[in-house]
Amino acid sequence: MITQAAPASPPEVVPPRPEVSRRRRKPNLFRTLSRVLIMLIVIVQVYPLAWLFLTSLRTEEDFATGDPFALPGSLTWENYARAFETGDLGRNILNSFVVTMGANVLIVLLGMMAAYAIQVLGFRLSKLVRGLFLIGIIVPVQIALVPLFIDYSAVNLLDTYQSMIIPLAGFSLPMSVYLFCSFYEYIPKETYEAASLDGAGPYRIFGLITLPLSLNTVVTVVLVNSIFIWNDFIFANTFVLSEDLKTIPLGLQNYIGAMGKVDWTATFAAVCVTITPLLLVFLVLNKAMIQGMESGATKG
Amino acid sequence: MQPNRMLPNRSRTSVLVFLLPPLLLYGAAVLFPILQSLFLSFFSWNGISDMEFVGLDNYVRMFVADDIFWRAFLNALLYLAICLVLQLGGALLVASLLTSLHRGRELIKTLYLLPAVISTVAIAFLFVRIYSIDPVGLLNQLLHWMGLGSLERPWLSDVNTVLAAVSAPEGWRFTGLYMLIIYAALIAVPKELEEAAVLDGASRWTLFTKIRFPYIRPVWITTTIMATTYGLRGFDIPYLMTNGGPGQSSELLTTYMYKTAFTSTDFGYASTISVFIVIECLVAVGLILFLLKRKADS
Amino acid sequence: MKNLLRAAAVAAVTALALTGCGGGASTSPTNVAPTGEIKPREISWLLSRPADGAVINIMKKLADDYGKDHPGFKLNLITTPDRPSYIQKLETLAAANKLPELFDTDATPFAQQLAKQGKMVDAEKLLKTLDIYDDYRPGALDYQRFDDGSLFMIPFQFELEFIWYNKALLEKAGVAVPTSLDDIPTMCTALRNAGITPIAIDGQDQWPLERYIAYQPFRAAGPDFVQKLKKGEAKFADAAGQKTVNWMADLGKAKCFQDGFSAQGYSDAQNQFTSGQAAMYNIGTWELPSLATDKLNPDVRDDIDFFTLPTTAGSATSANEFVSPSGIGMAVNAKTYDPLVSDFLKFALQKYPAEYAATGALSPTTTVETTLPANATPLYRKALDQAKDLGSKQAMPWDTQLDPTTNGRLQQELVLLVQGNISPEQFTATMDNTIAQNAPKFFK
Repeated sequence: MITQAAPASPPEVVPPRPEVSRRRRKPNLFRTLSRVLIMLIVIVQVYPLAWLFLTSLRTEEDFATGDPFALPGSLTWENYARAFETGDLGRNILNSFVVTMGANVLIVLLGMMAAYAIQVLGFRLSKLVRGLFLIGIIVPVQIALVPLFIDYSAVNLLDTYQSMIIPLAGFSLPMSVYLFCSFYEYIPKETYEAASLDGAGPYRIFGLITLPLSLNTVVTVVLVNSIFIWNDFIFANTFVLSEDLKTIPLGLQNYIGAMGKVDWTATFAAVCVTITPLLLVFLVLNKAMIQGMESGATKG
Repeated sequence: MQPNRMLPNRSRTSVLVFLLPPLLLYGAAVLFPILQSLFLSFFSWNGISDMEFVGLDNYVRMFVADDIFWRAFLNALLYLAICLVLQLGGALLVASLLTSLHRGRELIKTLYLLPAVISTVAIAFLFVRIYSIDPVGLLNQLLHWMGLGSLERPWLSDVNTVLAAVSAPEGWRFTGLYMLIIYAALIAVPKELEEAAVLDGASRWTLFTKIRFPYIRPVWITTTIMATTYGLRGFDIPYLMTNGGPGQSSELLTTYMYKTAFTSTDFGYASTISVFIVIECLVAVGLILFLLKRKADS
Repeated sequence: MKNLLRAAAVAAVTALALTGCGGGASTSPTNVAPTGEIKPREISWLLSRPADGAVINIMKKLADDYGKDHPGFKLNLITTPDRPSYIQKLETLAAANKLPELFDTDATPFAQQLAKQGKMVDAEKLLKTLDIYDDYRPGALDYQRFDDGSLFMIPFQFELEFIWYNKALLEKAGVAVPTSLDDIPTMCTALRNAGITPIAIDGQDQWPLERYIAYQPFRAAGPDFVQKLKKGEAKFADAAGQKTVNWMADLGKAKCFQDGFSAQGYSDAQNQFTSGQAAMYNIGTWELPSLATDKLNPDVRDDIDFFTLPTTAGSATSANEFVSPSGIGMAVNAKTYDPLVSDFLKFALQKYPAEYAATGALSPTTTVETTLPANATPLYRKALDQAKDLGSKQAMPWDTQLDPTTNGRLQQELVLLVQGNISPEQFTATMDNTIAQNAPKFFK
């Protein structure tokens, strides 16, 4: 049987220090070098997003003939007008939102439940169940396409929100289970024992202790998964047919014309519009997410 | 081993109540399709014909008669290696540098995560521009400026460079995620240990290899497993940038399986490749656990 | 645990058997004029055409008009313009037996199997019953036919493919318009020496390069070559095959295509041509709005012209015979074919040509005259006039002819051949081997 992937943990968790209390040394070569290196890497990481946005403001001519990496000669919002005209971006964003939220609710709720059963309640085959979940982390999602399509058409689920939500949630569930498991490991046993002595059963303990304590992990799980789900192309493309249900990646396909001709500047404008909601959420919540991820990781 | 049980009194029903719904979803979306793939791999079926039982024919074809399969397998391993170096190496480097920084850590962490938010379609197009030679793309321009003109080439058309070229965006995209995790582990290293070592006159390198790295090893193993499984899943970027080409130079097992299923409508054979991918992934993770754990023990 | 697995496997079998093999034709595909009451309902057309293009806009309008007289009728247009994604969708729907009333497909071996299973309505009979069969250009219908001559798809377009060129660039390099296909490699060398990219090509979408390998055999042996090749009756090792393989290798050696073409997309290639960097560009009349109107870059507008596919010495086909596709065709699902679908098609197909020709495009019928757009250059008329004098044969794009596996391999190997990564001998051996392996499965 497969063993679990969450190995040992540091003897005790040292909380991240808010301010590093190291003696100030005079600037040396190493420090300067590392500063420069960090700046370089940050540029590499941020540049594409800036490029994407700048390109969405270029005129078609400028994009076609000019140096794609120079600053645009003139800026235009026309691409955005064309983007909204060609596609039903609002509808696409709404659909992506429904799918992302739907999947996230399942991932978080079911992930917590499974982790609670495995880590807190405990049962004889819990190692086996953990192993089963490990398979889901490991296998690539593409293998489910053909079978799921056949199953869906048998039970009439094609072309519905559920058809996208189920596999997206299913494949993200294992990671969520592991994150919650590793978090629950660190809720002291005494907390539960005290609650048990007060006469609380497993359901009340779940609702009153475990659930409220998991908030940071919830944010982490939701944000990490949202990144993948918001941009999912493969399941949506396979299971969705009608225009009304198209999510953002499918909506972007509407900018493809005859024989593969693409209106790139409008496409980039659309890309900018569609990543904005995710970006905003990300920027607002990123502190909570980073914290959740850091604590999740260091705890195993 | 004793089952891990934190609650002294809990009923069997309560376990089922919490366990069944997740298992049901997971079974329907993940486990059952895997079994169906296994089943389909013994058949020849193009979607509209009658299914024909062919026994192990598909497996024989895969192992003996299919040159593209082996090519794709090797490519997938190379792709994985490049992604791992970029993601883990890059993450470790940046995380280490970041610990020596006094201000702006939070900002850099956020900026570093940004690429993960952009959709693969946009990333693929961006990198096609970066690698382009006619019109001159960013990479070739940079090489030119640095006086390395002899290295300029159409990176995505050259059979020798294309695999590295499609791996890099994937590595670049998620390195921020791993950096965060490793960074968190690094700042958890007790300062007393480090300071004691510094007093003993340890260099930065010994400090890293003797104190820091051993301390974060458990996290390192988790990160390696994550990066490996994501690397083996790689699909979007090679599919969108080169569609496996030129020739089969950037064909991965996943893109090959996808094409076999949805271009060649050979669903039976595609399922056979799926089964192989599942086994490949399980073996890879097993191997990592075995190697890294053994190293830790020695 | 083992028993559980076995049970799951059994369940999988049942699920597959129910969906995969169930169904079958409910109506006979030969009955093209179903009788009975017309009951308006919502019908769907799964298509792969530009979301805002002429075909979709016109059909939407016609459906609205029809809906006014038939309350309750609605035509649901589901488009996936990206072709590979579309084909995937079509195939999975066919596998699940969930094809809608109308769906787009090329005359591929896969579509032929669907037709053989009685899943598509016979289009020839359908058009004859509607009394519009003779309106269609023979070439437009021939493009849609399977190799046994049967017709199951209805065309909505008619396009001609030309090689567009830049007179000024040719002059600069001191070369003339080629009179034979065999002139092209030397022409490319001259252009390269003058610092000009000879041909701009969209390498990313694969089909443009695949056009080139079809040209020599079409001239040397006529349209039959690919028909035989795809079944393994002709080989790349044959004389006609070797000629095209070597020619492709020569194109590569002469550096005919822009550097790094395999990763360049449709717009990149067109931009290279319209910005005056590349001398030639092989594309069809669907690009007239960007190549023969005042939308074209003014710097090159007066220098642009086109020539049709050159012949070769002893050519089996004549100069007025080249690639003239009628686009992806529309098939009618036999299972859902009823008086309503029949009545709507009758209504729409009769009105479609006039509306379509008014947009400045060539109608698949000969009954209407194309309206020149107000901003057209003289080249627009010249291009349309080519349609009046066409021979009876046409060069079929190979990507609609070969079985999908062979086609995929051909596209990959072709890039390697042109880039010089493999020799013509390796190419020949690989491709003949691939056809021998895959053709029997598709062309039983």
